[in-house]
Amino acid sequence: MLGYFFKRVLLLIPKLLIISILIFIGLSFVPGDPIDHLIPPDQRAKLSPVQLETLRESLGLNEKLPVRYLRWISGVLKGDFGYSMVSGASIRVMIARRLPATLELAFFGLVIANILGLTLGYISSIKHNSIIDYTNTTLGIIGTSVPEFFLGLCCIAIFSLHLGWLPTGGRVAVGKETFFDRIEYLVLPVLCLAIGYIATLMRYTRGSMLDVLNKDYIKAARSKGISEFRVNCNHGLRNALIPVMIILVNRIPVLVSGAVIIENIFNYPGMGRMILDAISCSDIPVVMFSTMVIATMILVSSLLVDMLAALLDPRIRFN
Amino acid sequence: MNKDIVLSIDGLKTQFKVGKRIVHAVNDVSLSVKRGKTLGIVGESGCGKSVTAHSVVQLLPKTGNICKGTIKYSPEVGKEYVLSDYKRDSKEIRSIRGKHISMIFQDPLSSLDPVYTIGKQIEEILFEHEKISKNEARKRIIDLLAKLGIPKPEERYNHYPHQFSGGMKQRVMIAIAMVCNPKLLIADEPTTALDVTIQAQILSLMRDIQKDYGTSIILITHNMGIVAEACDEVAVMYMGRIVEYGPLEKVFNNPLHPYTSALLRSVPVLGIDKNTELRSIRGNTPDGSDVFQGCEFSPRCDQICQHCKDGHPPVRVVEEGHEVRCWLYEGSGGSDHK
Repeated sequence: MLGYFFKRVLLLIPKLLIISILIFIGLSFVPGDPIDHLIPPDQRAKLSPVQLETLRESLGLNEKLPVRYLRWISGVLKGDFGYSMVSGASIRVMIARRLPATLELAFFGLVIANILGLTLGYISSIKHNSIIDYTNTTLGIIGTSVPEFFLGLCCIAIFSLHLGWLPTGGRVAVGKETFFDRIEYLVLPVLCLAIGYIATLMRYTRGSMLDVLNKDYIKAARSKGISEFRVNCNHGLRNALIPVMIILVNRIPVLVSGAVIIENIFNYPGMGRMILDAISCSDIPVVMFSTMVIATMILVSSLLVDMLAALLDPRIRFN
Repeated sequence: MNKDIVLSIDGLKTQFKVGKRIVHAVNDVSLSVKRGKTLGIVGESGCGKSVTAHSVVQLLPKTGNICKGTIKYSPEVGKEYVLSDYKRDSKEIRSIRGKHISMIFQDPLSSLDPVYTIGKQIEEILFEHEKISKNEARKRIIDLLAKLGIPKPEERYNHYPHQFSGGMKQRVMIAIAMVCNPKLLIADEPTTALDVTIQAQILSLMRDIQKDYGTSIILITHNMGIVAEACDEVAVMYMGRIVEYGPLEKVFNNPLHPYTSALLRSVPVLGIDKNTELRSIRGNTPDGSDVFQGCEFSPRCDQICQHCKDGHPPVRVVEEGHEVRCWLYEGSGGSDHK
């Protein structure tokens, strides 16, 4: 089993290389000249084609695609992720600043979504077809169907502008830096990020639980005389979690990259906003690298899914 | 209560609420299980045999309810519990379940929780009902597994259900049922999902258990062959009622109810003439929510008489311990049940 996972981890390397080539080729087809975004239009008009050409040459834009790729990938392997074409800042520095913010958002989003989603789903399945269940499922449908941007705007309008309880956006007030100073900035984005998740997770947990509670081994467990709570938790939830956890872990990368909208609405300085800014400026090195970060996350979480499945389900572990 | 009797059910009525309809799954069922003996409950699918058994330990689904009758359980002479008074999932009924009355289910393949080792699943019931150390429990379980014919029990203890074959899984189920040394074992079609050779092994295993531990058994089945092999007494059920009830030899040698004799006629025998058609009972089992004015079996009965549509036939004791619920025996010299 360990050998299998070691092999899987090793396989990540060729997979990532292939992905990087595909992204590189894809981005080379993006229309528009990066130079256009580099120089203000009025100044660009004054530049001669020769000057533009020199600029391109100096930026390495004129080389053939494979050469450019090899130069980029060897840099990445050495830990040199390149520089933003727009701000000239080191991408490594940008990521080092942005990624923790996004991870903080995603982490709290996940924790809250997990606790609430699983608990509500569990209650819904135990109190199947009761008023609590109907309320939960109705809220669940609303939660999955209301788009994040609308929810975010509503939250800002109500809690920030109208009630004035929480800041409209940002990550931390000027001059403060402890985590506790950041909490009030986290509440609304985390909430908006988590709601869709809570709803999805609740519905999956409920469905999976209802499926498991009808199984023969639940009746057999009851016939042992153990308490209803233990039947539901040790046998019900334990089995219901297998598919739910797999869905959950599979969606972690979506949570990280999906913060794009939320981060923009709340003006939150994370990866999502960086990606959006980079795309709108054709800042190819930044887009390239952040896409790679997301691709890595997807690959790692799909590996995690398999490990988790093996951990939770002996039938997979022993085959 | 008679001191030979471990479980007596009197006038049990269990209903299910399916949407707005009410299904009378069990109607006025009375039976008793003698200490150390096996009672077989036979009948076709949906006749209420499983519901009767599940009513005993209150393991009915949430839609089902016992609405009439008493179920008395006496673990030893002089001690008596009225199981039908306990609430579903109450502490009292839970202390009976598994400890005093345990169950084996139809499908061993799906009756074991796939995510726990079998050792853990047997332990669970032991720790629930007895104060016992982990080491002692393990030792006792391994002894029991060996006794039940599971090879290499120390190793098997840590195996998961999917690593067992169907017959072995049923042995594990029996181990779960027997580990607390119950007085009564309810086997709900224990061999239906197994192939024939394994069926015979499991049945003989159950007989051995009964001999060693003196456990009483309720054996639910639709297989007349199994009844003949394993039971001391038989109750034949049809549409939620017991239509015939008595000692094995009497019911088999002298079936009184037309349904019982039809069932016996429809069992294929080795050496049967290939050209004769195997007898079957015409018509279909009626729906559980149908309400009958007369005898439920009358639409399919070959010996129908003028009373049959009038009302439910009362129980008649035709000979010592042999009861039947049929109009044919009205006025035949037998006596009323009560």
